[in-house]
Amino acid sequence: MASVAGSSTLMASLSCHKPNQALTRASNFNAVSLAINGKSFTSLKLYSAPSRLRISCAAKPETVDKVCGIVRKQLALPEDSAVTGESKFASLGADSLDTVEIVMGLEEEFGISVEEESAQTIATVQDAADLIEKLIEKK
Amino acid sequence: MFSTSNLFSPIKLPSQMETHLWYSLPNEIKTESLLSQYVDLLSPLEKDHIFSISSHELQKSALIARALVRTTISRYQIGSQVSPRSLEFKKNAHGKPEVIWQNSDDWHPPPPRLHFNLSHTSSLIACGVTVDSPIGVDVEEKQRTMKNNILSFAKRYFSCEEVELLSAISDPEVQRQEFIKLWTLKEAYVKALGRGFSGAPFNTFTIRFSSMNPDSEDSGIMIVPLENPSDLTTNWQFAQLELGGSHYAAICRESNGGASMKVIVRKTIPLVEEQIISEIN
Repeated sequence: MASVAGSSTLMASLSCHKPNQALTRASNFNAVSLAINGKSFTSLKLYSAPSRLRISCAAKPETVDKVCGIVRKQLALPEDSAVTGESKFASLGADSLDTVEIVMGLEEEFGISVEEESAQTIATVQDAADLIEKLIEKK
Repeated sequence: MFSTSNLFSPIKLPSQMETHLWYSLPNEIKTESLLSQYVDLLSPLEKDHIFSISSHELQKSALIARALVRTTISRYQIGSQVSPRSLEFKKNAHGKPEVIWQNSDDWHPPPPRLHFNLSHTSSLIACGVTVDSPIGVDVEEKQRTMKNNILSFAKRYFSCEEVELLSAISDPEVQRQEFIKLWTLKEAYVKALGRGFSGAPFNTFTIRFSSMNPDSEDSGIMIVPLENPSDLTTNWQFAQLELGGSHYAAICRESNGGASMKVIVRKTIPLVEEQIISEIN
């Protein structure tokens, strides 16, 4: 049961460790069913605050830009095509081999090593940028 | 052999020995009215995903992929799953899509266990179907070039034995082709396992070609796990094909007592027509 001060509850439940889920859940209205005094109110729409959450966990814009550049190059996308942090690799037309080529490009650009196991967590450009900064920090 | 399917004419399930491979070419599917019919087949979530794709070409190709999966599976008319729209899908822990068979516990005898796997390039979409065996399919364009150096890429991701095999190929074009084919085999395997690239890193197993036994019925491709102990299973068989003159395809499914894979390939425009291309033994 969520309280009316629901945005804080929602934010607490959205974890930085799963950026995918955070973006997916936070970018839509969250329809929450509340039970107040035994009555249930459905379709109360709460804005969770995605931008606040993302800034505290997210990679620097320069990192995101570099990732966008590598993605554009790999997928041979025209300069004016929309590639942002929220872009999903699959939606940009990356197949499995493209995705691994992109990861290899990121390894070389940033001097990091991305375990194959981590590749599954990367669905968007933002995911990749966040992982890169985490790996750079560990070095 | 052409067969114009009247919407949902039924297709016989593959036997235990068979694998069905269906493919569509997005470039051949252009009429807006047909594409609208495809949209009508999708779940709300699928529609959201499709409409979130900004490129028209990629959107169309993603749409055709969903239409291909839904129409293909429903053609086999399993139990009450007769309508493409009614199919529901879930993902396993590694993200591999599977059909949710409705009320399957109530069926006597139990329904045939149909497995499918989709592979998607911008220019060709393929869907493999089996009964009683997990399946992995991967397709790549034959002309596809690598942005990274092939041997650097192989050294980073493939096994030592595979790097040696590729290094021994002196013609760069042949090397590129063999690399792409090897990629499709490895990808088909990890998709058949249901674990994908992340769940079964490519340097934890070698794909080995044993070409020295002309009496052997199978394609002579075997999996060699490299870690000890390994949780990678080896009772799998492969088929390699070319589709439409433009794509390499690899199929991986469980071994069938030593018999080679029998693949029936159909080229299709969902809801419109299909054409049996070949039966490969």
